[in-house]
Parts: sequence; C-alpha cells; structure tokens
Amino acid sequence: MSDQNRISKIETMKFEHLTFSHEGHSPLIRNADFEFPMNEVVWVKGIEGQGKSTLLQVLAGLLVPQSGFFYINDQNVLDMSFEEFLPYRLAIGYTFDYGGLISNRTIFDNLILPLAYHKLISMKEAKERVDSIIKKFEIEKFAHERPAHIPGRVRKLACLLRALVMQPQVLVMDDPSVGLGQDTLYTFVDYIHTMRKEGYAKHIFMSTYDEKYMSLFNYQIIHIDDGQLYLQTVDNDKKVVHL
Amino acid sequence: MGSLWSAIDARICTLGRFVTKNIEYTLRVLLMVYLSIKAAVLDQAQGFRTIINVILSQIYFTGWQALPLVSVMALATGSVVVLQSMANLSLLGGTQMIGNFLIVMIVREAGPLLVALVVIARSGTAVASEIGNMRANREIEALESMGINPLSFIVFPRVLGGVISVVCLAFYFNILSLIGGFFITKFLQDMPFSFYLDSLMRGFAKEDVLIFFAKNSFSGMIIFVVSCYQGLSVKKSPHEVPQVTTQAVVNSVIYVIVFNLTVTTLFYLNQLQNLGVV
Repeated sequence: MSDQNRISKIETMKFEHLTFSHEGHSPLIRNADFEFPMNEVVWVKGIEGQGKSTLLQVLAGLLVPQSGFFYINDQNVLDMSFEEFLPYRLAIGYTFDYGGLISNRTIFDNLILPLAYHKLISMKEAKERVDSIIKKFEIEKFAHERPAHIPGRVRKLACLLRALVMQPQVLVMDDPSVGLGQDTLYTFVDYIHTMRKEGYAKHIFMSTYDEKYMSLFNYQIIHIDDGQLYLQTVDNDKKVVHL
Repeated sequence: MGSLWSAIDARICTLGRFVTKNIEYTLRVLLMVYLSIKAAVLDQAQGFRTIINVILSQIYFTGWQALPLVSVMALATGSVVVLQSMANLSLLGGTQMIGNFLIVMIVREAGPLLVALVVIARSGTAVASEIGNMRANREIEALESMGINPLSFIVFPRVLGGVISVVCLAFYFNILSLIGGFFITKFLQDMPFSFYLDSLMRGFAKEDVLIFFAKNSFSGMIIFVVSCYQGLSVKKSPHEVPQVTTQAVVNSVIYVIVFNLTVTTLFYLNQLQNLGVV
C-alpha cells in the first residue's frame, strides 16, 4: 500500500445533526451535535442499551448513520466510499467487546492480516512487530492456534492486539477489560501508555463498566443519554468530577 | 359479485407483492455482484496473490472434492440415457441419431442442471453457512475495521472460484457420462464404439459450446452470488444461519432452473426462427 492511503494526522472529530438507529428501533443517537475531545482518553458512559457500542462503531466508521454529518478533520466522512474512507479507517483501530477474530486463521495470522494486506510495512517488519507483541503478552504457545482452540482470555487479548499492531492514531475500544484477567489487564494498560508516549493511540475512546480499570488512565467522560452526548470534564489530579 | 372482485383484487395484490419482492431481491443480488467486481478491481491493496489462495481453496472444495459424487451421477445418468436412447432409437430405426440425442439430453440439458444441483447441495450451503457464521461472529465487521472490503476479500474470490469449478465439473460430467455411460452399458448393447463416437461428433455443433459456457458459467455465478448474499444477510444471531442456508438453496435452485429454462427456450426459438417456423 502506498503512503497516499495514510493520513498524516487526525485532529478533530465532530458530529453535526447526526442520527443513528438500528433497523426497526428508535434512534440511539438523535440529532446529536458534538465535538469530541482529542488527545485524551475518553470514557464513554451510559446505562445499558443507551448506545455506547453503537456510538463507538459510528466513530470507527463501521455503522453509517441515517442522517447528519460526521466530520474528521473537517471532512464529512459519511459521503465517502469504502475506498475513500480507507485512509481514515487505517488510522482508527477498533476492538470488539466479543468475537471479531477471523476463525479460519491462526492468532498470528489474525494479528498480521491488516499489516500484510495493506502492505503498511515490509513483511519482515510486520512479522517482527507481531512476534514482539505476542512475546510481550506471553501468548507464544497460542500464536499458531485458531481462535476456537484457545482460551477466551487469549481470544479477547488477540482482538485487542490486532488493533494495536496497526499503531493507530485513534483507538476505539468496546469493553476492553472484560475477560482479560488482572495481570494481562495491567500489561495491556502499560502497553497503551507506552504507545501513547511513542505518539500512537493519541485519541482513545472506550466504553466499560470497570471503574478499577479506568482508574489506570487520566480520562474525560462522555455520557450518552437519550440519544444525546454530554461531555463531563474530570480533574484527574483530584479525580473529582465537575459536571 | 363484490366479493368476487375483492378476491381477484387480493390475488392481484399478492401476485404484485411476490413479483416486486423477487425483482427487489434480484436487483440487490445484481448490485452485490457489481460492487464486488468493482471492489476487487479498485482495491489497490488487494493484489491477485492475496485472493489466489481463496480462489484455489474454493476450487478445491467445490470442484475437486465434488468429483466422486459427480462421477457417480455422470455414470448413472450416462448409462440410463445411453441405454434408453439406444433401445428406443433402434425400435424407430434411427440409431445413427443417438449422438444428436445424447448431446441434447446430456450436454445441453441434464449436465448443467445436475452439476448445478450437486454444487448447490455441497458448496452453496457451505458458503452460505460459512459467511453467515462469519457475520454472526462479527468477522465481516472485523474485516471492515481493518480496512479490508469483504466484497473483494470474501465474495469475489468465492464467486470466481465457484464459476471455474462449475464449468470444469460440467465438462467432466459431460465427458464421463457420454463415454463412461457407453462402456458401462457395453454388456447390454452391441453398438461399435467408433460408430457411437462418430455419431456424437456429428451431433456436436458450435452452439453447444455456447450453451455449455452460458448455462454453466451463469449457473455457477447464480449459486455463489445467491449463497454469498444470503450469508451476508445474517444480522447478528447464529440462529439465522440455518435459515439463510435453506433460503440460499431454495433461491439458487429456483434461479438456476429458471435460467436454464430461459436459455433453452431462447435457443429453440432461435432454431425455429432459423428454420422459418416462427
């Protein structure tokens, strides 16, 4: 893949009059106007069924809203075809709350797939990058197994790592902490902090109910309620919430 | 009188709904074909090497692994048709026409239909359930999130591999049923092989090549496009997978039969026109 498919920087993400509803259901996002905080770890909160996962999927370009505008760097990406949106997509990593691994490929093949497919780096570099991340999380013995043959913890981890190997600018994670286990969770958070120091995953959006996990980050909060988005700033030094 | 009209009206409405539903379905399927070809051509990242493995494995599963079943069907069909046609043509004194008869029966009609049915039963169901499970397991979403277009990565190679397999299987079916059928029935009939082969050669026309490729390649395309479409139509739940698989079989069978019937009708209308009958 050539460099023309990579965008240099994602600076702004904004909704304008955006409405999304699943087929046959009432809108989960209703005429929302919202500018997302950038260079932050953003915790998307809301009660169950309010549309947290839907919001994250819209942000990752996996769901197309029925109306409104979604601007990334002042470009309305909703008008774009799959090919036109590709540079943005490659800058956005998305992790699933469940599923999402390609079942007829090994964990190693799953991790290397986006790098190899888009030829983002040479095959040698891609293998080295995947090998190093597999080693870092100590899942070498499962690397050449298919998803059905490995523990759920490793499946979930592999799904998270597949987004990380792309070294995206924006990281969108749906319930990342569920099923990871304590040690893996700390290693994962540590890895994200390291990536952010290196200049990757600058903008993180995630939904979770795990307050202990979120306490490992300095975060801002977006509430989703009745189809609207509300920003709640958090003083991370005092961890006191200012509405 | 009023109730009669309302009954007729209700029937017309039902028919209208049935027709519009099928037209919409056909248009959606055709749109998917267009988009998958466009995506495969436009996809700069996806070289031929990326999809060659998927095409080859599709040919292996659909073509190679179907050979035993197709062989049995070809030999059985060939034996029955050769034996019946020899017996009846002998009675009518037209043994020299056996080649024409077998070409019409096997190459033009039975071959494409039987091969299509075997492929629907084996591979159409497999493709629909595989893609349906990928959908339920969110693998299709995962491909999209990685910037991989499922239409060029999943649909296009399966359709291409499927079409190649169906054409090859049909060729194999025709040869095996025409030649194998003759030798299997050898102990029941005394026709010299050279006479039989000569009759087949005389019965074979260039239109048969056209019909062979038209029927088999489009049948292959119909089966795999419909199966992929049905697989992709799974929304979220695994319980939809058997439903879409059944629907893939039903729709493929209907479309293939209608298509074969249309080609046959057009061909014979054309022949009648050439003869000056119509």
